[in-house]
Amino acid sequence: MGPADEVLSISDLTAAARTVLEGGLGTVWVRGEVVQCKVHGSGHWYFTLRDSAAQARCAMWRTYSQRAGRPPADGTEVFAQGRPTLYEAKGEFQFVVYRLLSTAGVGDQQRGLERVKAALDKDGLFDASRKRPLPRYPSRVAVVTSRDGAALHDIVIVARNRWPAAELLLVASRVQGEGAAGDLVAALKLVNRLRVELCIVGRGGGGREDLAAFNDEAVCRALAAVRVPTVSAVGHETDVTFADLVADLRAPTPSAAAELAFPDIRAVRRLAGDLGARLAGGLSRRTRLAAERLARTGDRLEVALTDTLARGRHRADRLAAQLDALSPLRVLQRGYAVPRAQDGRVLRRLADFPAGRPFSLRVADGDVPAHAD
Amino acid sequence: MTTPPPGKPAALADELARLEEIVRRLEADDLDLDAALALFEQGVACLRSARERLAAAEVRVRTVLEDANGTLRLGEIDG
Repeated sequence: MGPADEVLSISDLTAAARTVLEGGLGTVWVRGEVVQCKVHGSGHWYFTLRDSAAQARCAMWRTYSQRAGRPPADGTEVFAQGRPTLYEAKGEFQFVVYRLLSTAGVGDQQRGLERVKAALDKDGLFDASRKRPLPRYPSRVAVVTSRDGAALHDIVIVARNRWPAAELLLVASRVQGEGAAGDLVAALKLVNRLRVELCIVGRGGGGREDLAAFNDEAVCRALAAVRVPTVSAVGHETDVTFADLVADLRAPTPSAAAELAFPDIRAVRRLAGDLGARLAGGLSRRTRLAAERLARTGDRLEVALTDTLARGRHRADRLAAQLDALSPLRVLQRGYAVPRAQDGRVLRRLADFPAGRPFSLRVADGDVPAHAD
Repeated sequence: MTTPPPGKPAALADELARLEEIVRRLEADDLDLDAALALFEQGVACLRSARERLAAAEVRVRTVLEDANGTLRLGEIDG
């Protein structure tokens, strides 16, 4: 197989190398010293980053350099976030930078954050015991976010789907950049003047940079002072801001915040339906019990009556027997006889039997004529 | 269709909690029939009110505006 059979063009080669390079590392942070930063007329920055042993050509496109502020001076120690690629036109290795932070600035920022964190922590603003439960069925909810950002839109979408009974009150505030912290403090104070049951504070997804407002001490204190439960939605999966730690509940995104804040109306309707069914069931059970009890009472009454009757009959029989025993006929049957005068009078004494007077003896089965001698 | 009047915010939660309580008591046996009927009536009222609150409604979004003199008012938001 000769070289002519499987030849690559230079373009093929650099394209393939670029693919390998870009696929190999992805986005990374590097640390180095800036050398010769040139600002191109288009707004792109070109510079070299180096350490003691190596260097890399860097490009920072205008979209990103605009956010980075001033171009770094020679010799500045920086953290740079970007991804390695190959500039095919020149066959040059290139690091395309998205974010550029001076290590000194990062150090200052870090120290500042740590001071704020310590102050908030000292005052117990991160304590789990402060966390309040969210209302189960909020009807009015304050949303502190920017008027035009995606956050409000996302929250409205979720509310519409899950909990159309809600009323949302937007308290508009800038959420990043200059003035955001002051806006947020004012907005959070304003929330306390509204009749709401819950407050969602956050910003839409997107940019990872500039969470500063949500790490601001005054903002965090204002958030802690909100009288109703709070949900943070700073739209950032990885970095947790102090506002997230101060809020009663942290949601990764505004949509997630709305999912946590709003119950699913279908489930609540089902719950109400179930309770209605149990209510009806409870009553019918209760009336059935009453009917059964009534029936049982009737049964007992009948038993009692029967008893009484039986006892009455028994007593009557006994009385009848006693009567029978007392009957003169019974006495006669035992062999006694009753002497009676002809007028029917019972003769009880000797004086009743003058000599020669006839009388009759009543025995069990008849009268016997007799006279006294 | 009724929307909950502002100022009675926790009403739905209260109603559902009351309804649960009523159902629980009704399901217990130690209740005389009169009391059960009275509870049932209360339960029906709670249920009706809760259902009204859960009736099809549309999310309302308004923006809070503060006048120069510090008075708050609510403005409608488009979209």
